[in-house]
Amino acid sequence: MSHRHSIFCILPPHMLDQIAQNGTTAQRDMAVKTLASSKQVRDNRLNMLTAAMSGTFAVTGTKQRTIYDAKFGTTLPGTVVRREGDAPTQDVAVNEAYDYCGATFDLYSAVFGRNSIDNRGMDLKSTVHYDKGYDNAFWNGQQMVYGDGDEDMPVAQRLFNRFTISLDVIGHELTHGVTQYEAGLVYQNQQGALNEAVSDIFGSLVKQYQRGQTADAADWIIGEGLFTSNVRGVGIRSMKAPGTAYNDPVLGKDPQPAHMKDYITTTQDNGGVHINSGIVNHAFYVTAINIGGYAWEKTGQIWYKSLTEKFTSISNFQNAADLTFQAAGEIFGIGSLEQVAVKTGWTEVGINVDSTPSPIPLPGGEGCLKGLMRSLGLVK
Amino acid sequence: MMQIHFERTGGFMGRNIALDLDLSSLPPDQAAALKLLVDESDFFNLTELRPENPMPDGFVYSITVETETNKHTIHASELKFPQRLRPLLNDLLSRTRTR
Repeated sequence: MSHRHSIFCILPPHMLDQIAQNGTTAQRDMAVKTLASSKQVRDNRLNMLTAAMSGTFAVTGTKQRTIYDAKFGTTLPGTVVRREGDAPTQDVAVNEAYDYCGATFDLYSAVFGRNSIDNRGMDLKSTVHYDKGYDNAFWNGQQMVYGDGDEDMPVAQRLFNRFTISLDVIGHELTHGVTQYEAGLVYQNQQGALNEAVSDIFGSLVKQYQRGQTADAADWIIGEGLFTSNVRGVGIRSMKAPGTAYNDPVLGKDPQPAHMKDYITTTQDNGGVHINSGIVNHAFYVTAINIGGYAWEKTGQIWYKSLTEKFTSISNFQNAADLTFQAAGEIFGIGSLEQVAVKTGWTEVGINVDSTPSPIPLPGGEGCLKGLMRSLGLVK
Repeated sequence: MMQIHFERTGGFMGRNIALDLDLSSLPPDQAAALKLLVDESDFFNLTELRPENPMPDGFVYSITVETETNKHTIHASELKFPQRLRPLLNDLLSRTRTR
């Protein structure tokens, strides 16, 4: 159990956020810890409730990774091949699944104060070597699953490498779990494309965070390294320039739009969830570039707050635009550079933010002082 | 006469693949092998599956077989796809992967 900081109920979160952004190193550390612990206090209440019901205690704040091997079959989860704390194995896919899953956990923990997929210390389960010739990775509701690409074909004919090769793919899959426990976005049409974009966004942030890249230095490619050298392409998707990631004689051209005028209506792919996500991906990219610096610090915070506190299962693009704008206003202030950047990002993809005040959310999800001030009408 | 329509949708890449086979235009040994896979799966007696909640990045497969007297479609996610259709599915998938 984390100890409770006495300052928890004194400084409202937006002030802590300010300190975390602008304070001295010592002030920043204090503010970040306090922000994280106020979240932990809430989580610990949840944990205690869960524990009381299940009779077990979740370990908070530490990763619990387990890697399984499906041995080219389709039975899940398969055989355990590496547990938390075990030394690396001889199997590169096992080690990538372990390391990249760890890097994703670390971003969520260090930057967003989140304790694993469910924010209650859930075990991170991954299966590698799933099926034969399996060009895919997925989240099945409980765990991550990775195929080896075209391992069963002659080298000269292979298009796909193993799906664990790409850090952002692992970040993408784990984030499907986070979305399931938070907004619970329906995996269909615009809601599904928003769900997909959230996975690409946080997947890309994991990569940028690990590489220490600012928004303008990042490549914003999703699935870098998935294609073999036989494919004309740099990756599966580009958040910077949707529709340009690949153009190949066998695979065809990257179909992603970057603007609402090119939105694709289809029944395939659950209504084009991997296609129209390009629109939201690009809005995020434009915002992050306009804000500048490390994308996880401000644009990431705006989206994390939106995903965990604002989006619902039926949020569409317009709703996502309005709510990210609202979140930016709450964190950085109405009319702040950051809030304007959110609006510009959406405008760039053809969505106009509706900035008319939405119903005031209940004060339960924020610091007690701010909640009290809000309920008394002292703050907006 | 037997025609097979196969489709895979979804997946991390969201790339659709489709295949139409008319057994009469295939080499006789291949046509016979495919017909055997269809027969062994007891395809026309497989019950249609209820719609499922889509699984993030999962594949969804659809196989339609049409003869003079019958037309039937099985449409399901990879995790719910009937085990006894796996041999036919694997054959069709391998055809879409031939470069």
